[in-house]
Amino acid sequence: MIRLQDVTKVYEGGTVAARDVSLDIQRGEFVFLVGASGSGKSTLIRLMLRQEPVTRGNLWVAGKDITKLPDWKVPYLRRSIGTVFQDFKLLPNKTVLENVAFALEVLGRPRGVIKTQVEQVLDLVGLGDKHARFPRQLSGGEQQRVSIARAFVNRPPILLADEPTGNLDPATSVGIMKLLDRINRTGTTIVMATHDHAIVDAMQRRVVALDRGKVVRDQATGRYEAVFMAGAGDRPADAEAPEEAVAPAEAVVRLETGEEE
Amino acid sequence: MSRLSFLFREALVNLRRNALVVIGAVLAVFLSMGLAFAAIGVNEILRINTLAWQDGTHVMAFFKEESEGGMAAEAQIGLTQEVNGWEEVKEASYVDKAAAYLEFQQLFADRPDFVSAVDPATIPSSIRIKLNEISSWRDVQFRLQAMPTFQRVTTLGDQIDQLSSLSQGLRLAGLGLSLVLGTAAVILIANTIRMAIYARRDEVAIMKLVGASNWFIRVPFLLEGLIEGVLGAGLAVLTVWILFRNLAGAGEAIRLFTFDIDPGFFLSWGTAFVLFGAAAGVLGSLVGLSRYLREADGGRTAGAV
Repeated sequence: MIRLQDVTKVYEGGTVAARDVSLDIQRGEFVFLVGASGSGKSTLIRLMLRQEPVTRGNLWVAGKDITKLPDWKVPYLRRSIGTVFQDFKLLPNKTVLENVAFALEVLGRPRGVIKTQVEQVLDLVGLGDKHARFPRQLSGGEQQRVSIARAFVNRPPILLADEPTGNLDPATSVGIMKLLDRINRTGTTIVMATHDHAIVDAMQRRVVALDRGKVVRDQATGRYEAVFMAGAGDRPADAEAPEEAVAPAEAVVRLETGEEE
Repeated sequence: MSRLSFLFREALVNLRRNALVVIGAVLAVFLSMGLAFAAIGVNEILRINTLAWQDGTHVMAFFKEESEGGMAAEAQIGLTQEVNGWEEVKEASYVDKAAAYLEFQQLFADRPDFVSAVDPATIPSSIRIKLNEISSWRDVQFRLQAMPTFQRVTTLGDQIDQLSSLSQGLRLAGLGLSLVLGTAAVILIANTIRMAIYARRDEVAIMKLVGASNWFIRVPFLLEGLIEGVLGAGLAVLTVWILFRNLAGAGEAIRLFTFDIDPGFFLSWGTAFVLFGAAAGVLGSLVGLSRYLREADGGRTAGAV
């Protein structure tokens, strides 16, 4: 579904954000990208979305080598990718329903289809009764649910999430992770960049750890802390010590198959 | 269809949300287009009046009295026929003393004391000449002045020449002004659209994230520019038309000059101006959008090494 082959990204000024990254992400996988700030997690997400050009290497997303994709085809690529961000990126002057419908309006879907799909996805994220509210009238967790609904309303095969729980408290983060887990169970590939130890440890999914743009660990069912143990040799001496995992949150977060909140 | 209505709705929402900026843009277009349209209107008035003057009598040659060495009436008529045959002359007509006195009486009908004080015998007979080409007035005047039978040769040539060159100058100035103001309209709309995009940059970024093509993003802004351009230009045309209509009414009091412009002129030029306003709006939007969308695409070469 997503394949990176020796991908390097060098920003203007010479900052290397990704260094010979090679990864294979299969259909239906749930992959955590973890690492310290500046390790290159968000850059990888941006590269997969073609928000940034790859400097060197090849990157396939949904069967297309996006390093060779002409600009005019980029919108078509993005229609097969749902995106969720830490700051929700909702339109403040549109209601919940309008925000979610926006993603389908852009694609030119008929009004009837839009109505049906939006209602379905709002029910999925548990906001069916708040469709007429504006983002400012919602809590952070609810806003992130709207953002997920918008990302998923088009049933994309891939969902990229950049720190989706970064602005949320642990309990709310649990709800968001359950939602992403449900979406993943429908067959959607999810790649999620995160700092949240508890979530990564509790989910027991594939973990790709990055350090200064390099993949230092790739485990099928990994934990957050192991990032630093495995990559200790590459870690700069003055780097921040890893935060302690939040044990209570871990206990809450642990998800079982089909479990509901 | 659903997509079109969505785009149109988005354009209207844009206009409503940025009402103040939109009003500013419409007023700016209104002023620039209004001035340009008025310049063309003034030019038309000059053209009409130049034509009217050109259509009248161009040269008048007054005969000397017979007692002062002039010709007899029959000879004057003969000379008129001769002048009528000149290459430059379109039409030469003889006005005898009686007709000249009658004309004098009509001209000063409101001053009977003055009319009664003038002896009809002192009003000279004359030849009234219309020229084929107004520019030949100097030659004709020179030839007539060379004949001793005339006491005075008058012409409107100088005034017509002045009016023609003024009209020519104003036409060029009007064209230049229209070009400058038209460009200003495009730039103003481009700036307005740029401000509108800046206000909606998050929305545009989200549109791009969910897979909207650049054209899909452009259309509401193009519609916005189009509406601003048409509104501004339409208001300008309407205002100038009303102004000129009032001027035409006032102009009736001034017999020498007409302000009455043919409605067809307003219709054709007004349509052209509204179309230009629409084009300026669309062009302004395209200019305003192109740079932003290029930057929003992530600067394709920015990171390349």
